Amino acid sequence: MNFLGITAAATAFLSIWIGHVAVRKIEANALDIRKPMIPLILAGLAVEYASLVVGNILLASALGIIGVTLLWDALELYRQEKRIKHGHAPANPNNPRHAKILAEYPAATTLDLLKREPVGRAVSPEEAPKLITDH
Amino acid sequence: MDFFGVTIGLATFLIIGLGFPLVIQGERRFGYLCWPYMMGIGAILIIASLFIASNWTSVVVGAVGATFVWGSTELKEQAVRAEVGWFPFNADKIKLPFTEIIKKWKAPHL
Repeated sequence: MNFLGITAAATAFLSIWIGHVAVRKIEANALDIRKPMIPLILAGLAVEYASLVVGNILLASALGIIGVTLLWDALELYRQEKRIKHGHAPANPNNPRHAKILAEYPAATTLDLLKREPVGRAVSPEEAPKLITDH
Repeated sequence: MDFFGVTIGLATFLIIGLGFPLVIQGERRFGYLCWPYMMGIGAILIIASLFIASNWTSVVVGAVGATFVWGSTELKEQAVRAEVGWFPFNADKIKLPFTEIIKKWKAPHL
């Protein structure tokens, strides 16, 4: 049995899941996204260094994947802010940075337009907010 | 210093990047109800990776498997993105077997 593939799969899946949730939370609450970006980049580089020196190939692989994910998450903070500007992710009106985006970008919204079941047909911009459900 | 882990990290990153077109094309062609198929393919690949002696091949197969499993959890949201016009909407989707049964299951979303 070779556990390297399943180690890579599990590490990738879990670290992406955690990153996916954390990026949205951090971006929604950060006053300045550059601030959380710096520790993410430093942590990513530190984990990559640990991967170089750890010795065990399973652990080195897991660390290698986690490190890249942390570096990608730093970039995702910036990409998430772009989604807020386009209205593709909901803005947090209690965050002054988001409040400013809401004022400056007409497409920005506090609504999460993806929070619903698919209906199987194209939906107009007027109808889309009415379909949002509460779960 | 052993660059094995770092190289695996980068390779896995590139493989997961393939998840973007996988989800977009999977949803466009088959609809989000293909999620159990995508998840099943991912699970088979991850299990298969256990029986591959070559470390590199095992990692690549495992990472492709993880991409399919993750992709299966993104399909429902992608369907809504296409419905609201952020991606092209295809009304003429290929219907896979057991779609009526799959409809009754809750599509995963993380």
